[in-house]
Amino acid sequence: MANKVNVAEKLGVNKYHTDEHNPHIQVDKEYLDRDEIERVVRVCPAALYSVDDNGTLFFDYLGCLECGTCKVLSEGKVVEDWNYPVGTKGVEYRLG
Amino acid sequence: MAEEKFDCIIVGGGLAGLTAAYILAREGQEVLLIERGNYSGSKNMTGGRLYGHSLEKVIPGFARSAPVERRIVKERLSCEENGMLSTVEYDSSKVSTPEGESYSVMRGKFDKWLAEQAEEQGAMLVYGVRVDDVILRDGKVCGVIAGDEEMESDLVILADGVNSLLSHKLGLKQQTRQDQAVVGVKEVIGLKEETINERFQVASGEGVAWMFSGCMEGCDGFLYTNKDSVSVGITMQVENIHKTSYSVPQMLEEFKNRPEIQALLSGGSLLEYSAHLIPEGGMDMIPNLYGHGVLVAGDAAALCANLGFTLRGMDLAVESGRLAAQTAIAAKEKDDYSAEVLSDYQAALESSFVIPCIQGAEACRSIVESGAYKEEPLKAFNDIMEKQNIR
Amino acid sequence: MNILVCVKQVPDTTEIRIDPVKNTLIREGVPSIVNPFDGYALEAAARIKDTNPDTKIVVLSMGPEQAKAALKECIGIAADKAYLVSGRAFGGSDTLATSYIISQAIKKVEEEEGKFDAIFCGKQAIDGDTAQVGPEIAEHLGYPQVTYGLEAELEGDILKVKKEVEDGVEIIAVKLPCVTTFTKPAWEPRTPTIKRKMAANRAQIPVLNEEALAGIDVTMIGLKGSPTRVKKTFVPQRKKSGIKIMEESNKESAKKLFRLLNGAGIM
Repeated sequence: MANKVNVAEKLGVNKYHTDEHNPHIQVDKEYLDRDEIERVVRVCPAALYSVDDNGTLFFDYLGCLECGTCKVLSEGKVVEDWNYPVGTKGVEYRLG
Repeated sequence: MAEEKFDCIIVGGGLAGLTAAYILAREGQEVLLIERGNYSGSKNMTGGRLYGHSLEKVIPGFARSAPVERRIVKERLSCEENGMLSTVEYDSSKVSTPEGESYSVMRGKFDKWLAEQAEEQGAMLVYGVRVDDVILRDGKVCGVIAGDEEMESDLVILADGVNSLLSHKLGLKQQTRQDQAVVGVKEVIGLKEETINERFQVASGEGVAWMFSGCMEGCDGFLYTNKDSVSVGITMQVENIHKTSYSVPQMLEEFKNRPEIQALLSGGSLLEYSAHLIPEGGMDMIPNLYGHGVLVAGDAAALCANLGFTLRGMDLAVESGRLAAQTAIAAKEKDDYSAEVLSDYQAALESSFVIPCIQGAEACRSIVESGAYKEEPLKAFNDIMEKQNIR
Repeated sequence: MNILVCVKQVPDTTEIRIDPVKNTLIREGVPSIVNPFDGYALEAAARIKDTNPDTKIVVLSMGPEQAKAALKECIGIAADKAYLVSGRAFGGSDTLATSYIISQAIKKVEEEEGKFDAIFCGKQAIDGDTAQVGPEIAEHLGYPQVTYGLEAELEGDILKVKKEVEDGVEIIAVKLPCVTTFTKPAWEPRTPTIKRKMAANRAQIPVLNEEALAGIDVTMIGLKGSPTRVKKTFVPQRKKSGIKIMEESNKESAKKLFRLLNGAGIM
């Protein structure tokens, strides 16, 4: 198994206009298929999905890179609804 | 004041949308481009390398004033077989026509520049607004909806990117399957220009595009030199997450931790971490490209060619934007934005390089996937190298 | 209702990096933004307009020609008109001179736009952080002022301002005309609309220079009118940075935290 990667630190160098009041992705926290959840956790480039010791799914939309990978993998399963953040909000690539 | 109506509204300020806006404004059309980011490029990302030929047709000599990073003069391909890494280099510096050139670019800078060019031509560019829907009347697209605001136009060009929620809503596009999308994750590592020149053995202004294949189960690696940074990343077909125990960030980390990569990046600092989906489903993934009052361009139209080692999308996006604009100009002349007239766009894409490139890519990819290139020359090369190693 | 919002274009301080070798600010390539607190002031004005549709919102900025971009951004969000105060003679002004110039400019703009019932400012600019210009404008105009506003509501000729204080909020009623400075509220300011953005792109912004402000006291502007003297500037000593606790599990992290706090004699 590979080492833990500190993705949060990498996201820290990015620029965001955070919208703390409107999550743009809705996640089904009651979703039962553990394997599917585990794949979503691994596929997110920003590592925003996590599962704690009790198996509870957490999702932090604020560091989202708006790529849509979780949508393609799991829309209708773990991902209930996927949209872009409202205008002006979200990640802002200086370099891209 | 009477409600304003545009000839054309373009959703998305990336390369396809901006190219269309540039041409339409130049031809005197009333054009409105709406981009959800705070500037063009702010939501965009590439590996990346732009093949210049299609933009060259729109803005001849663009690379002289556009913020390109480096002209690609070396293409390297590294393949790993049984733990042995072999690298071949293709010298592309001999290409001397502007049409033949390719450049490493950073979209945050490049798209912003192209947006300025479109504005100079008279296009109305609006930033910071997310388009939520299109106005649909009797099956005809008549404009866009953002929040509780409506804006009318004769034509809407959807250039809203790989996840094109709008073309999906309109029923033009199917849900993207896991085998049709590749996720790309990239770090931009800041290094001194001279350090890059030295480590990659290139002159200032000249750069390297470097692909790594077979280094890791399920994903490929890439490396591009920018002016004073290096883009390093991996691409993985979304479906492959089923076949690995790694997470996507771990894959990138593993790739970066390879000694040969570490040597190239050492002393650098992380400037940006980004991710993007690449529509890589070939012809199968291309949506309906037109409807009544609507055209789809760029990544939204899944116009991307997977050539096995390289992915081409940006030059196809530019060309599709140009052809969409041409179709729009013809439609305005006829004052007819019906699907029948707009179907010319599809025909134009088919007779341009775009569709043939995507079709040809499938053949190209099957050679790569067959591994024939490895079995013969590379394997022979590896064998020789190994047999030489007599102690 | 006629509201003037004063805004300043500032460097995006979150984008300013420190040169690790020279230990100086790297200002090159740093984007300019509307001072966020001024954005909250604009939002407060826009909220009044939401409930009182006949409200007019005018924005005013003092700065170089480039500050027009900040004014256009305000039009894109909520402002109806914009004015830029810009002139050679204004260069080098400290907060006192700046507030004097702005108060003079306000009187000039009122000739065009009618009397302002309220003047809204951000509590401070993120580049200078003095929090002086807003209150000084009130003094120059002889208006009552409320600082650190979170929300404002109009009731007849009274403005009810919810104001942030150390341990909670106060609601202060103030008679119009008045000056109010605003701080960060609990809600996000609104995002632009297409039509407003189009209006912003097309807006012609009048520039008021020293000639336009006839009758301005030239001894009170520019370097000459600025009593502020910078005695010395220095880089504050770097505080020891915190430590990051990130163990294999949350449980392990908590244990480590406990050990550290215990060791420091805090627990």
